[in-house]
Amino acid sequence: MTANVLILCAAGMLVTAYLMVGQKALFTAIRLFGVQSLFLGIVATTIAFSESRPELLVTAALTVLLKTILIPWFLMRVIDRIGIHREIEPFLNVPASLLVCVGLTVVGYRVSTGFPEGTRGVSHHLIGVALSMLLIGLFLMVTRKKAITQILALLTVENAVFLVAVGVTSGMPFVVELGISFDVILAVLILGILVHRIVDRFESMDVSRLSKLKG
Amino acid sequence: MNVLVWTLIVPLATGAAGALGGPRRVKEAVMVGGLLITFLLCLATGREFLDGAIPAAFGDALRVDGLSALVLVLCGFVGLLSATYGVGYLRRNESRSLVTPRMRREFYGLIPAYVFAMLLVSVSNNLGVLWIAVELTTLASVFLVTFHDRDTSLEAAWKFLVLGSLGLGFALLGTVLLFAAAQGRLGDDMSALNWTRFMAIAPRLHPFTLRLGVVFALIGYGTKAGLAPMHTWKPDAYREAPSPAVALMAVGMLNGALYCLLRIHLISKAALGPAFSGGLLLTLGLLSVLIAMPFILVQWNVKRLLAYSSIEHVGIMAVGVGLGAEAGVFGALLHMTYHSLAKPVSLFSAGTLAQLHSSSDFDRIGHGTFTRAPFASTLFVLAAVMITGSPPFGLFFSEMTILRAGFLGSHAVATSVFLAALVVLFCGFAFQVGRLVLGPPRDPAERRVPLPERFDLGTAAALGAAAIAVVSAFYLPAPLLALIHAATRVVWGAP
Repeated sequence: MTANVLILCAAGMLVTAYLMVGQKALFTAIRLFGVQSLFLGIVATTIAFSESRPELLVTAALTVLLKTILIPWFLMRVIDRIGIHREIEPFLNVPASLLVCVGLTVVGYRVSTGFPEGTRGVSHHLIGVALSMLLIGLFLMVTRKKAITQILALLTVENAVFLVAVGVTSGMPFVVELGISFDVILAVLILGILVHRIVDRFESMDVSRLSKLKG
Repeated sequence: MNVLVWTLIVPLATGAAGALGGPRRVKEAVMVGGLLITFLLCLATGREFLDGAIPAAFGDALRVDGLSALVLVLCGFVGLLSATYGVGYLRRNESRSLVTPRMRREFYGLIPAYVFAMLLVSVSNNLGVLWIAVELTTLASVFLVTFHDRDTSLEAAWKFLVLGSLGLGFALLGTVLLFAAAQGRLGDDMSALNWTRFMAIAPRLHPFTLRLGVVFALIGYGTKAGLAPMHTWKPDAYREAPSPAVALMAVGMLNGALYCLLRIHLISKAALGPAFSGGLLLTLGLLSVLIAMPFILVQWNVKRLLAYSSIEHVGIMAVGVGLGAEAGVFGALLHMTYHSLAKPVSLFSAGTLAQLHSSSDFDRIGHGTFTRAPFASTLFVLAAVMITGSPPFGLFFSEMTILRAGFLGSHAVATSVFLAALVVLFCGFAFQVGRLVLGPPRDPAERRVPLPERFDLGTAAALGAAAIAVVSAFYLPAPLLALIHAATRVVWGAP
């Protein structure tokens, strides 16, 4: 039962990552990120109960609170204020992007077999999914132009790291995780402020226009 | 509470005070005074270490060994220098009414906060705390990059933050994987992430997980250090940030990031032998030196020029460590020390030149600055001589030490490439500096000085920094040398 829930949620996270790649409406992309974080929260909760590690519940609660509610709400507010709702044509079109992501997933799963826990059962899927998501996040980062999408890509990478943390080690020491969560929310806030300033200045949040500095 | 904790509290409180309102004079005095006390506390911590104690706090989450003590003292030193020069820098802008109250709050708040974060990096023993501290340095410096509020500063800040956060994502994954490699042997309380505990069980870490973690952590912290190919944020950020903040980035942040790389390298060395992470550091370092070469030759901006020089220098340090010889490690740490003393001089004088001409681009500054700004130009030439590693200054000796270690060891080919790159870099830098400083101004408009040079606090700070850097070439205080040796023992591994 526990194993099924974990695998289902991990698969859910991977699916949301794929959907984000195939998505151009920014609102939907943000909601997808929220759903992805919710899955991460469920993974942490499940492990907290199955391995009786109550401090993971706090991690799960933090994840859901910050990444499913607070950060998406904040990003949506930023978009609302600046009135830009769609990603423009990415550097690589959607079908090709999805194909690349399939390749990245294969790579992620291949690497995951090197872990001592990685060749069997639940951990195999958790690590495989996490490494795939990491690569997909990087891929989103380099192929998308809108500032908000880049923030989402960054957050996807962050989610992937957290999935590794709960999947492989059953969570980092709690105080450290608290500090990390705090830093992540601060980084997103500052990124949001920068997006605001960029839009004010360039009347666009197309980061490919940020190309004056070279050499 | 012990000295170590106060060393961290004082800059934090200074930053908090600076972010509040208040008369300008008071803010200036608070920042310089606060960072002076911070520097003295750093010295006291270093002294405590040399007297045989291991200053520590919060269950060894913070712990000062030789490496920490050296980085801490250098960081405190550059913090004080930057604060003093920074007050002069901002005063010049005040005299032209370029400073808004928002800028004042940001400047006097963020510079001490940045110093705090860097000091925290240098004393972190806990890898989680280390990561948090590095992230704090990033966050504290973003609004220093956007300080002048130009189009290009937003671009630079965006690249800086996105690339920095990505790098930190990698570093976090690296940390998680290192923790995973212990397979539960460390327990799960706060101290489980302590570097000292990792070192104790290093031979039993799971090799594959460890390797993956080391690669991610080195790439992640390498991004913060500005090692190629993750260096692309550096020239932009250096051009846009005000020069006192750049001095903190180029010395404090660089040393701090190198500190992180060394901690990871040491875990990897203890578990897998020196070849794995040493080879990675050697490759990244060599790549940095090589990548800096063409960009220095064709550079169009004086602060970007210094950014590429800083990429070169972090490359040199990485090569020194990566060679896998005790002399190389000693050379790298000596290089770090001399670089920390010489680099601020170049940034301060270049910053003054840029300020006088309202731009740091070569074509806006023009040629023959010596006739317009003799103090700043002289100091810039002196600094250029020092940071290109010319004798008789310190960086020459450290580079020679590294080269010697390389040729005596098993990396003769890499060292030859390294040496050739250093020669080209020297020529390129000399060419750029000559073009800027020497000769008559080419067109009449260049004779006009936008803002005449005066002997003010900024000049005095640059001059003081230069005096210290020159003296250090001939006389390193015995305690500082003892710290360098102690740091070498930590990195080389002998008890």
